[in-house]
Amino acid sequence: MTESAPFSPIAVVGTLALLAAYLTGAWCIAAGIAGNARKSRRLVSSSVYGLYGFGALIGLSAALLIYGFVTHDFAIKYVAATSETTMSTWYKVTAFWGGLDGSLLFWVFVLALFSTVAIAVNHRRHKDMIGFVVATIMVVQVFFLSLLIFTKNPFTTFLTQAPTEGQGLNPLLQNYWMVIHPPSLYTGFVAATIPFAFGIGALASGRLDDMWLSSVRVWMLICFFFLSFGLILGGRWAYEELGWGGYWAWDPVENAGLMPWFTATAFLHSAIIQEQRGQMKVWNLVLVTLTFFLTIFGTFMTRSGAVQSVHAFGEDNVLALQFIVFMAVILIVSIGLIVYRSSKLTTLGTFESFFSREFAFLVNNWILLACAFFVLFATMFPTISEALDGSRVSVGPEFFNRWMTPLGVILLFLAGAAPLLAWRKTTTQRLVNQFLFPTAGTVMATILLAFGMPQTRHLTPIFADRLKLPVSLFVLATIIFVGLSIGQEFWRGMMVRRRQTGSDPFTSLLGLMLSKRRKYGGYIIHLGVAVLFLGFVGKAYEQQTDKTIQQPAIVRDEAASTRVPKQQALAQATLPAGLEEQSFKFGEYVFVYQRLIVTSDDHKDATTAEVGIYLDGEKLSTVYPAKWDYHRGGEQATTEVAITVRLSEDVYVVLTGYEQDTGVANFRVFINPLISWVWIGFCILALGVFVCLLPASLATYVAARPPRTRLGRAADTGLVMALVIGATLAIASQAHAAPPAAAAPAEHLPAGGMGMGNSGAGFAAQNHSANPAAKKAAEAMFCPCGCSHRTIEECDCGLAADLRAKINGMVGKMDTSTPEKAQAAYEGVLNAFVVEYGGEQVLANPRSSFPWLIPVLAAFGAAGLLFFVGRRWITRGRAAPMMTASHITSIADEDLADKLDDELRDTD
Amino acid sequence: MQNATLTKIALTVAVVLGGAGFLVYTSVDHAQHYKMVDELISTGDLAGWEGKELKVHGNVEAGSIVEKIVSQEQHRTFLLVKGGSKIRVFSSGPKPDTFKDASEVVATGHLVKAADMKAMADSLGVKLESDLPYVVEATDLMAKCPSKYDGAQVNKNINDRSTDNKFK
Repeated sequence: MTESAPFSPIAVVGTLALLAAYLTGAWCIAAGIAGNARKSRRLVSSSVYGLYGFGALIGLSAALLIYGFVTHDFAIKYVAATSETTMSTWYKVTAFWGGLDGSLLFWVFVLALFSTVAIAVNHRRHKDMIGFVVATIMVVQVFFLSLLIFTKNPFTTFLTQAPTEGQGLNPLLQNYWMVIHPPSLYTGFVAATIPFAFGIGALASGRLDDMWLSSVRVWMLICFFFLSFGLILGGRWAYEELGWGGYWAWDPVENAGLMPWFTATAFLHSAIIQEQRGQMKVWNLVLVTLTFFLTIFGTFMTRSGAVQSVHAFGEDNVLALQFIVFMAVILIVSIGLIVYRSSKLTTLGTFESFFSREFAFLVNNWILLACAFFVLFATMFPTISEALDGSRVSVGPEFFNRWMTPLGVILLFLAGAAPLLAWRKTTTQRLVNQFLFPTAGTVMATILLAFGMPQTRHLTPIFADRLKLPVSLFVLATIIFVGLSIGQEFWRGMMVRRRQTGSDPFTSLLGLMLSKRRKYGGYIIHLGVAVLFLGFVGKAYEQQTDKTIQQPAIVRDEAASTRVPKQQALAQATLPAGLEEQSFKFGEYVFVYQRLIVTSDDHKDATTAEVGIYLDGEKLSTVYPAKWDYHRGGEQATTEVAITVRLSEDVYVVLTGYEQDTGVANFRVFINPLISWVWIGFCILALGVFVCLLPASLATYVAARPPRTRLGRAADTGLVMALVIGATLAIASQAHAAPPAAAAPAEHLPAGGMGMGNSGAGFAAQNHSANPAAKKAAEAMFCPCGCSHRTIEECDCGLAADLRAKINGMVGKMDTSTPEKAQAAYEGVLNAFVVEYGGEQVLANPRSSFPWLIPVLAAFGAAGLLFFVGRRWITRGRAAPMMTASHITSIADEDLADKLDDELRDTD
Repeated sequence: MQNATLTKIALTVAVVLGGAGFLVYTSVDHAQHYKMVDELISTGDLAGWEGKELKVHGNVEAGSIVEKIVSQEQHRTFLLVKGGSKIRVFSSGPKPDTFKDASEVVATGHLVKAADMKAMADSLGVKLESDLPYVVEATDLMAKCPSKYDGAQVNKNINDRSTDNKFK
């Protein structure tokens, strides 16, 4: 502990970097606007290079703050408030965005990164508006930077003595989801700034042709993807960590991320209409502005205290006022510019038919916008009601569900119907041709469902109490319709391509997707949304029960003679008899409360129930719901739920109460039908986004690469798709990743002789084996005590000592005389642990560490993707004259190909 | 042509206004009144709130949490305080991880006469306060989420143990 005011060079340099960035940002605004207004190339270049410099300074600040965390510079208040020395490096890095001050810096950092890439890629193409674009981005940056510098500086130091230890991150936040969920949502929010800046740039410069649109579409897709990713991860986090059995509660913080998702989705559709038909120019500008506005509004809503919620970020009137002023500026400037440029925003032509693709897109836009405004209205309901009559009135999740369900079904129907319609007008013949198969298939499947599964006919109220419909049946029918419609599009496209190229079906399908990435990527996204809805349908059929069992099957103080047979009986794959008092039936499952395990280590006390789940008399799984009481942080308790995942339904067990002395335990069990399809649907959606974002250069390379043998082409396309699917599976691993040891259910055995309050002292030296196989096995598995990712070999808790003894015992019975046998023994131990603890999350290396590497891999992957996308844009102009005629027809002009397709279909 | 444009505008306005009106109309059925504890108590007429769905916001009084399994379900009761006023809350089922002494809680439920909950209070071994004629029978508890940045500090400041009930 120091005697005088602490000095932190990190804080000094960090603050100076922020100040320098602030001045640089101000210069960029002035130079950008003046440069384009006066047509001064030097000023515009100066603003562009200023933006790069700004990015470097913010990068330096972010690096310094992370360095402060890693080196425990507790002279910095923010570091002291959100970290402690014993936290793992991962959580220290996570703490960067774990507090308000750091999250604002993280926001500025991500936007600096994105804007650097966006400007580097586009500044030559948009010389006459890039200054305005830079200025717009910098206005946003300077706003957030002013919050940072004047009120929320993360480099503020203590004026007196600095603490020797930090307060640490709340244990509830020390899990894998905190590492990946907030950055994903922030990235989605931040990405909305780039389209907005290009929109304002186009308005200010008067260059309102379609060029700005093509530059922002990719960024809006990135925004859409990261918002989707952030929302789904938030849902998964809630599902696995909070123990209430659900994944979405219509909380204001969740809604803040959902509102811009709706408008971003609307823009992705309406932009196509402007490209194809030259219509909806004003609408697109409004959507771009609205998406950005809603990201700022969502931030304001949850951080200023405008909306009361336990999930909100606390009240801060000063922050609220700053946000209100900023939002007013956004609206005044945007609306003002749109009105000013209205003469240049006239639409070419009008809608010719209700049965046209553009009209379907228009309806889709209206519904999406209605969804956004409904969520806004319902979220702000307490504030609105208070303003009107002084009484704060809120609406519950049921109100959200009643409105959002029918709106969602309409959107889902359009996702299947719009691809079947032609641009301009769909002839009667084409309507029949396109809709016959999906409609007939849907009608037949719906009849089968309605009679084969009567529960789908259950009436659910929508909008109001009195209006009841078989909503589940409607949703299922619409899902089937979307599946058949998209399937038909793929089938017909593949058949056309087969006729053109003479290749096999698989190669034709992959080639089709590669050559028309946006179109078929979009269809895959529609399919993903349909699968998501399948997961949502399951919500209507979830079941829940509470059960108390007075005593487990195996009691700690039971005589060894009776304990062993019971243990052996419970280890069998079938349901043992004589356990009526220790079991209960719920749904199709029988739950046997096997034992209560009490352990303790340096970090927490853990009470774990071991529960066997049986289906049709066969053992399905053994689960370990638990309660952890952390010693630090005011004895923070965490609920560790246990989930048995099946494609048809999840069995979700929560230990809601217990008595250690008697062994009595209370469980809440949820059966959540179809919930896995929510996560699977998102993975399909992610696959679609990746297909859309695949760089043209890659597709061209694959298509043009000699030798053009059928096998060679199949291998090439297969390779590309393997890359895409690999990336998607990486995301799937996020959605399905078993929680790391710190967050995993307490799936461990009781440490012999341990009781409450035991400290880890002395355990560190116990039971280390000299046998290389045993040592290697102990090093290859995480200790499940929640010790921030230390292996069984490294961990100093009593549980680790016990597990080392267990490993030694297992290896001792095996032959390790040769390297091959030692390896077999090592693998045998690992396999035994995986089987015993119900998952591979016990493994430290390489499988369990993989999910932790994903954010890094994703960052590099995203950078690589941005590079390829940027390269495509940069080289597009140069490469075009060099392209051969075959390239042009096969790959480069996919818009033309789309149009040709539609026209050919019409003439068919 | 102008007539067509006017028709479109009129239709759009009608749809938007109609939709908004219907939205407000349907929201009435789902209204939950949001009250701080002191705000609720100061209304004086607690009987007037009977039967209405309420969200009551306050802090858990330290040492007031009592939990027990009654009829296969975990039940609990505690006092919610704010601005010098207090009200007793009964709830069942799982509780949020951040629910503990002094934590900020929103209890969603209905106001019922204290006498109606006497049997449950007896089962939990709690004596009902004579000056609190009404209690909240909560269907849902929400406790302040720690991600909101001051969680660690708030938790750190809570040193006194809530209850010495052996049931967790």
